[in-house]
Amino acid sequence: MKPAAFDYVVAHSAGEAVAALAGGDTQVLAGGQSLILELNYRAARPARLVDINRVPGFDHLGVTDAALRVGPLVRHSAFADLDHGPLGTLLGRVAHHIAHPPVRARGTMLGSLAYAHPAAEWPAVVTTLDGRLVLTGGAGARTVAAADFFTGPFGTVRRPDELLTEVRLALLPVGTGVGFAEHRRTHASFAQLAALAALTVRGGRVDEVRVGLVNAADRPVRARAAERVLLDRPLDPAAFAEAGQAAAAEDADPRPQPYAGTAYQRHAVAVLVRRALDAAHRDLAPTGG
Amino acid sequence: MRVSLTVNDRRHDLDVEPRRTLADALRDDCGLTGTHIGCEHGVCGACTVLVDGVAVRSCLMLAVQCDGAGVRTVEGLAGPDGAAHPLQEAFCAEHALQCGFCTPGFLMLAAGALESDPGLVRDPERLRELLTSNLCRCTGYEAIRRAVIRAAATG
Amino acid sequence: MPGLIGARLRRREDERLVRGAGRFLADLRVRRCLEAVFVRSDTAHGWLRGVRLDGVRSVPGVVAAFAAADFPDVPVTPPMMDPQSARDRPWPALATDRVRHVGQPIAVVLAADRYVAEDGRDAAGVDIEPLPVLLDPTEAAGGAPLFEGLSNVADVKEFGAPVDEAVWRDAAVVVEGSYRQQLMAHTSLEPRAVLVRPDGGDRFTVWCSHQAPHRLRRDLAGAFGLAEERVRVIVPDVGGAFGGKSETYPEYLAVFAAARRLDRPVRWLEDRAEALTGPPHGRGQHQRTRMAATADGRILAYELLIDADIGGYPHTGAFVPLATSMMANGAYVIPRLHVRTRAVLTTTAPTAPYRGAGRPEAASAIERTVDLLAHRLGLDPAELRRRNFIQPDAFPYPTVTGYTYDSGDYPAALDVALRTIGYDGWRAEQARWRGTGGAPLGIGLCTYVERSGAGEEFAAVEACPDGTFVAVSGCCSTGQGHETSFPQVVASVLGVAPERIRLVERDTAAVPKGIGSYASRSMQTGGAALQRAAGKLVDEARRRAGELWGRPVREVEHHAGTLSSGGHRLPLEELVAATGALRAEETYAPPEAFPFGAYAAIVEVEPELGEVRVLRLVAVDDYGVVVNPLIVEGQGHGSAVQGLGQALFEEFRYAADGRPEQRGLLDYLLPTVSELPPMTFEETCTPNPNTPLGAKGAGEAGCIGVPPALVNAVADALQLDERDALQMPLTPYTCWSAARAGAAR
Repeated sequence: MKPAAFDYVVAHSAGEAVAALAGGDTQVLAGGQSLILELNYRAARPARLVDINRVPGFDHLGVTDAALRVGPLVRHSAFADLDHGPLGTLLGRVAHHIAHPPVRARGTMLGSLAYAHPAAEWPAVVTTLDGRLVLTGGAGARTVAAADFFTGPFGTVRRPDELLTEVRLALLPVGTGVGFAEHRRTHASFAQLAALAALTVRGGRVDEVRVGLVNAADRPVRARAAERVLLDRPLDPAAFAEAGQAAAAEDADPRPQPYAGTAYQRHAVAVLVRRALDAAHRDLAPTGG
Repeated sequence: MRVSLTVNDRRHDLDVEPRRTLADALRDDCGLTGTHIGCEHGVCGACTVLVDGVAVRSCLMLAVQCDGAGVRTVEGLAGPDGAAHPLQEAFCAEHALQCGFCTPGFLMLAAGALESDPGLVRDPERLRELLTSNLCRCTGYEAIRRAVIRAAATG
Repeated sequence: MPGLIGARLRRREDERLVRGAGRFLADLRVRRCLEAVFVRSDTAHGWLRGVRLDGVRSVPGVVAAFAAADFPDVPVTPPMMDPQSARDRPWPALATDRVRHVGQPIAVVLAADRYVAEDGRDAAGVDIEPLPVLLDPTEAAGGAPLFEGLSNVADVKEFGAPVDEAVWRDAAVVVEGSYRQQLMAHTSLEPRAVLVRPDGGDRFTVWCSHQAPHRLRRDLAGAFGLAEERVRVIVPDVGGAFGGKSETYPEYLAVFAAARRLDRPVRWLEDRAEALTGPPHGRGQHQRTRMAATADGRILAYELLIDADIGGYPHTGAFVPLATSMMANGAYVIPRLHVRTRAVLTTTAPTAPYRGAGRPEAASAIERTVDLLAHRLGLDPAELRRRNFIQPDAFPYPTVTGYTYDSGDYPAALDVALRTIGYDGWRAEQARWRGTGGAPLGIGLCTYVERSGAGEEFAAVEACPDGTFVAVSGCCSTGQGHETSFPQVVASVLGVAPERIRLVERDTAAVPKGIGSYASRSMQTGGAALQRAAGKLVDEARRRAGELWGRPVREVEHHAGTLSSGGHRLPLEELVAATGALRAEETYAPPEAFPFGAYAAIVEVEPELGEVRVLRLVAVDDYGVVVNPLIVEGQGHGSAVQGLGQALFEEFRYAADGRPEQRGLLDYLLPTVSELPPMTFEETCTPNPNTPLGAKGAGEAGCIGVPPALVNAVADALQLDERDALQMPLTPYTCWSAARAGAAR
């Protein structure tokens, strides 16, 4: 389990990184927690790696224009204790479910998005929160909506000569409750399924709701059917189960997994969506409900 | 490629292929075989070392990434006079190792965590989250957990 | 030294291991050593039509590459158990005309650098014409033969006569079960490893991460036609074994042959991808059970039929179902017992003993069946067990399968388990939960008896002129702490501080003969041999002192390393100075012992997703006399967590095309600290009546006791009348599916 040979260049700026990618057959080394695994298995055999770990500013993590901006070197661990209101709370809860501390210390959110592992948490999070992804190539930068970014397992619209340089997540309104519920077989395993929810209530009515699913289809899922059950209606925790059923029936498109048939997965989606909504509801400030 | 690593406060100037993992560089190029290789895909944690004070999988880092970095391995855990680190002492006292293959990784995982946050052990949930990082096939883990708590109390 | 037996001495091994100063095989530095990497089959079964290594040899840095055709003199893998079935079905070091499992070695590539050797491996060309895949042993038994003209059933063993149909017909109750022992991966954290160094003159030093160095020497020397003294086997620090490092594997022969051909040291370090793919796998049985009983729960008959998956070649895995058969009887009086096992070839990696080696499989079969019987009769499963236990006054107890259980008190162990877990309280709690619609709560029991030790072991004790002693053992620690516990035994006889005794083992040049460490045999057999050797040393010292002083030997006393008689006093080291080397040897072969215990588990099956939450787990084990409780308790914990792994998480799976479904430890799931349930360990002590030391085997118990206790608890929680849907590992999906099927019934 030793990597095949490759060239290695260190980028000191976004421009250098993009220039390296333009050379072709080049992969980006950020956290490396999936890439080096694939190199060790020789499942990935790029001609060259461009290491972006020394690019100044790539570790930026901050709020501008009511959006959290995340740079390519922000590690999973950086989200553990984040401010920024409900969004920070949600990201912190999710981060605790990603691998374990040593991998969280190296692995990055943007790397996870670019890798697009079907069971990874971040792709579903940014999809559900309408994240905007900035891709920088030789011709400049373009911004892609998360909903348009993921094309399937390990598939994205990123072109090989583009670098994912930022993701922008709009802050969630004050008073939003957030929840995350994950199902996995051991703490060393990927999620079999997970659901996240953000619930904003005004005047006793659900003003905004976001529900997302991890590993419930060939790409991250924004569970619109589940959201429709709740949106613009009086807040009623009894409806959370109904939302879960809607997610299971209409949003999820499960593929067989070794230890989960599709009927079980749909059932689990219903349960996890309800649990995520329950958690979000518990999270709401008393005045919010 | 020429890189310079400071391992356990000693500088190592190496000439390595880019593809060489940090784990292999430590073991073969620096001669520090206390860092063990158990899975080479980041799950078992036997190769855990501290890079600039943070516990990482040395099988999932390349040696060339660590140019200029400070690395600490199990060989650097004992004091300059050879006195055992509190974790080393506690692992012996609690019988927290059997075959000993996973032990250096657990020691470095715990050492990194306790140095940055000695109060960690007072929160069972956080200690569990930390120790779930690494695999042991012999002990059943309970003695390892006790040893880390004991080390935090005596360290 | 009084009180040493039973003392919690800290381990000597730890000092080097916690400092990273252990020496595992990968840590050895041997000049000019080449690293070996294997080209392996990616096809489960097929004709090997061509192997092209030209590309391999042209990779810069590759020193050599060999396929079977380049190695006409490489021997086949020596059979270990049941030699006839293996001789008829040879397991080549490198595949010749046919491959029979994914991962089978086809060629070996050698380079000074492992990275380069893997580059060479990737340049190999292999043509395989696929043949049918056989994954299920029962189907494979009647399937197209893996070896032309020979049955896929490599071995059949039968014990007891088939139970008369009238017994089944007339019994008040008959229960039947169909249980699966999944394939598992041993997953010692250090995979397999071997290094062969030619020393000139057709002599070799072999370092191997192994459990039985003398057998490995015999196998290698025999296979290559060398006198045994030409091969020295050294076992360095070993990173766990669990039964998977006891064998002589094809890779070892290929590495030996390459080293001999090139006259250079060659090392092979198995990586995790290879280790998971196997060989070896563990377990792998289809079991069908049938039990008849009277209306008041007295067992009348028990039948166990096994089809064991032994993979593509019969090797040590073919022995495991025999071990299961011989322990089929469990802890009960069974008037009619019939066991038949078939060791069946399939196109999976060959199996080997895995911690417990046949006994977990046997315990699981009967303990699940007994529990089902209790459920069917509406009897408390503890009470049903009590009615059928072999009673404490019935020992030695001969079984139909040919064993003689040495001693035991099964009711006592069960009582301790029930008391410790608070059995009656949990039953009341369970009734309350059921009444109030709470989550399914289940209580499961397992009362097991196992077998430990077998055959002889060599030991020697020598007194040195400097006042120290050397203890020599044919055993081979792979993490069990022999350097601490064996001196403890010897010190207890000599009456000296254990620090004065140094253990020598794991080197065929320093230990004239030995069997090794497996089957929980080290302390029971090797420790007992050391105890007797130390006793013989004292006897010889007294004889010599008597001669020296002209006094009758019966009047020479030994106390704490000093001899005395009349006014004479002489420490042993001075006796050595005066009379020459003083060494006693012992080869001791006590009979098998039969440790036993009782496990109890409380589980809650999370009703929505089916997750098993283990609320309590109590293990009561009886290992006879315990020499070092620190070490034995550690083994208890570790084996229990491995048992938890089998029950809930671990399974090696093949896709329909015969390729492994799992490539790493993100797929093959081991328990982490987060999966630990609250566990309590207790012991009873029934000394081994057949050795003065009184120790029985320890170290595999948890693998035996935990899985049936957990499965029975889950079945109890779900109130299943039919339990065949509950197959390990009990994943949430499994439990959810079983619960739904049970509710629909």
